Amino acid sequence: MTPERMAALVARWVRLYTRQLPPPVARRRIGEIDADLHDHIAHERAGGTDDRRITLSIAARMIRGLAADAAWRRQTIAQTSTPEDVMTMSKAASRSVARVALATAAILLVPLVATLTTDGEGWSVADFVFGAVLLGGTGLLLELAVRKPRSLAYRAAAGAIGVAAIALGEADDAPGLVLFGCLLILGTIALSVRTALRSE
Amino acid sequence: MPRRKPDTLLPLEAEILGAALSLRRSGQAAFHGFGLARAMREQSGSRALTGHGTLYKALGRLERFGLLASRWEESAAAEGRPRRRLYELTGQGAEVARQAAADAPGRAAGRPPRVASEPA
Repeated sequence: MTPERMAALVARWVRLYTRQLPPPVARRRIGEIDADLHDHIAHERAGGTDDRRITLSIAARMIRGLAADAAWRRQTIAQTSTPEDVMTMSKAASRSVARVALATAAILLVPLVATLTTDGEGWSVADFVFGAVLLGGTGLLLELAVRKPRSLAYRAAAGAIGVAAIALGEADDAPGLVLFGCLLILGTIALSVRTALRSE
Repeated sequence: MPRRKPDTLLPLEAEILGAALSLRRSGQAAFHGFGLARAMREQSGSRALTGHGTLYKALGRLERFGLLASRWEESAAAEGRPRRRLYELTGQGAEVARQAAADAPGRAAGRPPRVASEPA
């Protein structure tokens, strides 16, 4: 690898860790490192250092500074976030949790009423706990997927849970679980379509 | 990295101020990141240059403390290469750097230099 390629790699890393920071802060760090890399290569070449050693020296400087880069990013975010930003994020998170809790309670009301009003075999406490964890966990996953629609990970996880629910429901002869899985997969597809349309 | 005590400099910050003071004494009041990394390497006798993240984070801290001031180099002076960010010791920075240099034996005994000059 040439020193220029290594410098380009470092420059890419700098652009990555300065993402979403206030533009003046990000521009300053990017500009400083770009100048440093240029000066480093020019100085070493003028001194007759071979390219391999220059490349290694640039890579070593980047690696030694990784922890400081991450710490600097964290501190910059903490210093530049206004109390309003923190309050908005906190309110949005509270609303998400409230929505998921309400939906979970509403869905679990159906088997609860059935258990209380019919003489047949109803749900045990363990069944309700399992159902609450399954519904609540999936709800939070969908909230994350909606909030970060470009992140494929959450949508993939929601889809995988849907497939698993259908498979388990089929094996255990549980039509409710199959329906849950189908709804989850349909929701994931709808979210993916919406994200694709918005990014066009 | 060692934890910071209030009103004290980290060893790296003291080293930066020491190198900046040496550059100033040699007639180079304004310095840039890579130039400073080179000066620090020469002073410490080390073979390695300070990591990018470590160096620029420390420079930012020293600027926040009011010990360094910085500005972008004029475009005309850059002559086609990326513009450098130029740093200079402030009056307080020079005082703290001198004190850190004088305290070097104390530092060797584990006492970190102070950010603000101590009352007489």
